[in-house]
Amino acid sequence: MIPLLLQTSAGATAPAWFSLDTAATPDILGGWIVCFLTLAVFSFLYRDNPFYKLAEHLFVGVGAAWYTLENYETGILGPVREYIIQAHDKLAANEQLLAGADAVTGLQLVDLGGFQVQPGLAIALRCVALLFSVMLLVRLFSRDSWAPRWPLAAMVGIYAAIKMTGETQSKLVIQIKETMVPLISPSAVPWTDGVRFENSIGFSLLSNLVFLVGLICVLSHFIFTYRRNRLLGGMSRLGIVVLMLTFGSMFGFTVLGRIALLIDRVADLASYAQPAYSLGAADAAVGWTGLFASLLSPPVLVGMLMIVLLAVWATGQRNQQARAGESG
Amino acid sequence: MASPLDIDRRWIFLAMGLVVVVMYALGETETIPVSEYVQSYFDEIESLPEGSIVMLSADFDPASAAEIEPMYIATIHHLLRHNLRVINVATWPAAPPFTQKYFSEIAPQYGKVYGVDWVELGYTPGDDVAMGLIGQSLKSTYSTDDRNHSPLRDIPLLADVSDSFRGISLLVSASAGYPGILEWIAQVGGRYQVPVICGTTAVQTTALFAYYPNQLKGFLGAFTGATQYLQLVGEATEAVHEERDEDQRRMLVQSWSHLLIIGLIAFGNVAYFLGRRRATR
Repeated sequence: MIPLLLQTSAGATAPAWFSLDTAATPDILGGWIVCFLTLAVFSFLYRDNPFYKLAEHLFVGVGAAWYTLENYETGILGPVREYIIQAHDKLAANEQLLAGADAVTGLQLVDLGGFQVQPGLAIALRCVALLFSVMLLVRLFSRDSWAPRWPLAAMVGIYAAIKMTGETQSKLVIQIKETMVPLISPSAVPWTDGVRFENSIGFSLLSNLVFLVGLICVLSHFIFTYRRNRLLGGMSRLGIVVLMLTFGSMFGFTVLGRIALLIDRVADLASYAQPAYSLGAADAAVGWTGLFASLLSPPVLVGMLMIVLLAVWATGQRNQQARAGESG
Repeated sequence: MASPLDIDRRWIFLAMGLVVVVMYALGETETIPVSEYVQSYFDEIESLPEGSIVMLSADFDPASAAEIEPMYIATIHHLLRHNLRVINVATWPAAPPFTQKYFSEIAPQYGKVYGVDWVELGYTPGDDVAMGLIGQSLKSTYSTDDRNHSPLRDIPLLADVSDSFRGISLLVSASAGYPGILEWIAQVGGRYQVPVICGTTAVQTTALFAYYPNQLKGFLGAFTGATQYLQLVGEATEAVHEERDEDQRRMLVQSWSHLLIIGLIAFGNVAYFLGRRRATR
């Protein structure tokens, strides 16, 4: 029944057997591959097996290739090759202008981090950056070389400065300011008919008190320089409760996210359970419809084949272990 | 006698799988109440005058697309329907293929012209540093656009944008982790006083409550937030009705999965205490 129920309405256009057009309906070959890889990853829930290993290695390989190409294109081709070529063209144009007249206007400049500079200077600075990149690679040949330490030191310094300026403000200064709130919010109103409880003065007072007490207790949990007397110990224990509630909330959200991923996979498999992707629907003259067509759709057929092959593989493994036990 | 706690965990996987498949197959939908955070996200976009420029940052990859995709699609619909101009950037290398696909599908529905109404600048490496650079000078961070590889000076939309984020009225991040919304707030939101809103994954949601409403004007927390937002956008945009119904269908599955987990937690605790009582006798 489930394969039939999972069938969703057919797409606007029939899928092609193979298509690289991202805007088109997903192709049939792609559908089979998607179903195979999804079920191969899920097969790990039974135990580690060759299908899972294949999917895992494929994922790592494709991911590495994609990230390498994307970073090469945006990190090397654009900012080095294209940038230097453009700056060089402007430099050549400027030299022609300078050679042709005594007083020259209209010299072309190059953008460098938001500042307009001479093309020659831009090329020189970009070459320094390039040199730093090459120096980083020296580590591949000589682990103790001084060369990679210079660019690394520059990177650490720049990164720390950038992080510090922005994050001190957003994660510390403003957060401290946010804790200094009036106990009753100025926008709160008396709880009367038509006023939602969460907008009322009582709720505002209660929630801000919980916030204040929770904040003080959590902070007191992290005071380690004084002996835990009854007051500090009690506040610390209450702080732990608040922390546990926070962790519980985070865990709840994590579960929510993971279930959402599972539902998305099921929905994706359901979309390929349509007759358009089924081997049974490929030949209408045979009259394979309904349940039989569903059984020959990618998620069901791949799933069944995978279960059979996993059973054969697990039996083989068990026999092998039994023989090894007997001989041992 | 074996304790119920010795149950093979694969039975739990199977139970969860069955609940999700059966409930999804039944196809029921569920309308859910809209939270304050989602309403603020929606209102922030609605409050912008037509023609304003919005930067939409794709900070996600295929692994998080299941959660981010619905809210990202709904946001594109909302922005374009409201006649806002969109600069699309990405700080995750795997994001551009998604964004190109969505814009190619959605923009023609509203008669939008590439370069005039929206532009795709693509991925730039460097995480926080790249975000800081984008804020400081968009035109020196990118030399060309991502779709046609045209110089930025040839793109009409960008004529209204200058350094220090001037000309951009709102920053929207579809954030799945690092780098993402927290880095945008630190590097751009506070520095250039630009309003920031975001859609995010469930794992990151709890961290965002501390930033609302001063540093973060609104946010869509996880799949639930996306469904609520789709309900709001769907009131005026028929194009998202299919997506909204699908998300409402998934929300019911989500609720039943959570019920199963709560049931399993209760079962585990009861079995544990009963086992302990039996052991002490």
